[in-house]
Amino acid sequence: MKRWLSVAVALAAAAFMLWQDGAFAAKPEAPAPAKAETKGDAKPEQKPAENSSGVTMQIDKTTIDNGGTITVTGTAPAGKPVFIEIYASEKVRASRFDADPDPKTGQRPYILYMTEEMPAYYKVIVPKDKKDVFEATKKEGRAWSVSKVLKETGADAVYSAPAKIKIDRYQATLMGSIIGSRGDLLAPMDDKENARRSMQLLKARFRSVGNIMSPDVEVNPDGSFKAVVKVREGLAPGKYTVVAAVDKGTKSAPATFENKIAFPNMYLSNAGTSLNVFWPALLAFAVTTFGVLMGAGGGFILNPLLVSIWPLPHTVVAGTVMPTVLFSQGSGIYNYSKIKFINWKLGITIGCAMLAGGFIGPKLTEMVTLDQYKFVFGWILIVLALLMAWQTTPGYLAKNKKEQAILKEFQKRAKEAAEAKKA
Amino acid sequence: MIVNFWGHEFKVNIVLGCIGGFLIAIVSSMFGFGGGPFMTPLLAVGLGLPMYVVVGSSLLAIFFNTVMGTMRHYQFGNFDLTFFLIMFIPAILAGFVAPQIAKRISPLWVKRVAVVGLLILAFQLLGLI
Repeated sequence: MKRWLSVAVALAAAAFMLWQDGAFAAKPEAPAPAKAETKGDAKPEQKPAENSSGVTMQIDKTTIDNGGTITVTGTAPAGKPVFIEIYASEKVRASRFDADPDPKTGQRPYILYMTEEMPAYYKVIVPKDKKDVFEATKKEGRAWSVSKVLKETGADAVYSAPAKIKIDRYQATLMGSIIGSRGDLLAPMDDKENARRSMQLLKARFRSVGNIMSPDVEVNPDGSFKAVVKVREGLAPGKYTVVAAVDKGTKSAPATFENKIAFPNMYLSNAGTSLNVFWPALLAFAVTTFGVLMGAGGGFILNPLLVSIWPLPHTVVAGTVMPTVLFSQGSGIYNYSKIKFINWKLGITIGCAMLAGGFIGPKLTEMVTLDQYKFVFGWILIVLALLMAWQTTPGYLAKNKKEQAILKEFQKRAKEAAEAKKA
Repeated sequence: MIVNFWGHEFKVNIVLGCIGGFLIAIVSSMFGFGGGPFMTPLLAVGLGLPMYVVVGSSLLAIFFNTVMGTMRHYQFGNFDLTFFLIMFIPAILAGFVAPQIAKRISPLWVKRVAVVGLLILAFQLLGLI
């Protein structure tokens, strides 16, 4: 009967999810290929391409192996700064919850910006003489702004690949949060606003200025330029497009190269990161083993380590680590129920309250930034450490010893009852 | 609410239990961990139940949260299958290996090591180290 009950609960929850999915969780549609990308795919020319703009460009390689160095050379009209944009055709999701007070009115907008079309890699290479701006931005730490650094280096004039991605806006409401929806989908933004918001999403996704910019273009007085670009490890596989530009309308024909990812490196498409699968597997093994020993799941230790070591979004880490304990919990419940060690009334009553909490929590994950996630997690771990410390105090141990003895007695009785039944 | 366990009756404050469970579920599903180490003290200290009642029933309550949290994360596109398999296979292995190790070491020392480890990790996350 109990097994049927859990099946019924699971079915009801699944039905509810499906209904809910259609009813209010306006899911972003499958990404349509961006304009820039189709253009890049159509003309994958590696040779210098003459263009009415007078900017030519070529790259020295067509493939790299999990990152590498690409040398970009070319010519541009003399005396103009040259910017090089590099972006992956692979797309990832990026989101940002805007709760910062408006500088004029002081009101908080509470709008969730979300895109499924962020290039998995984006970098703009600016002229070497902008190095001071780049270094100054680096020193700003977490407070740096994409739009400010693009403006100060002049790269805002050529910022194009992420500018036109489709961004959905959701107006979050308190009621919406309670029923677990993202909120009301707002009207699309105009091009200028879209570009501005895409810059904020760029920061939300790539975190540091070094990931989206480097001051490496050497521009000579005669207009020829050269840049040695280091493409880091752990990026998306597939096609990358390179375009050199001097201003909005004046750009070279695109060139493309391919980033190859081979086992044991694997690409996590939802996280937008490639990694050597051996290391996270080893980490998961060590942490979950320790977790079982200390009587707590591994998630407490695993999640903060994962987001600290690899550039993985905290949403994906939370959403992927959680299901790993489903089976161990399920088998635990089965084992306890066999020896009649579960009070169903108590478990299900509190379980229903937890069902409601579990419905709300995952939506909040995408509303916090990685830094907030780490900060709150830090405090959770301190509380957990205190609880653990309390469990090693003499008073607790004495009480525990007594209860363990009763537990053993019950287990013995349960075993005997089971054997009597068999016989 | 009266909880009956092997003939013993315990009176529990179910409202406290549900509110506590609700809050723990929000936080644990938001951050993606189980929540067991918080549920056990809630039931043991908050509701005054002995440990032998708590272990099984708290696991059942948490299971509800994990199922719902998993579905919601999946719905919001936070689930990555490759990544899941990388984590899941070692977690299953750990389930077999850990009990073998547990026989040989004292749980008290594991907890003491855990306290130090958790504090180091916490300070690192808070940017204090």
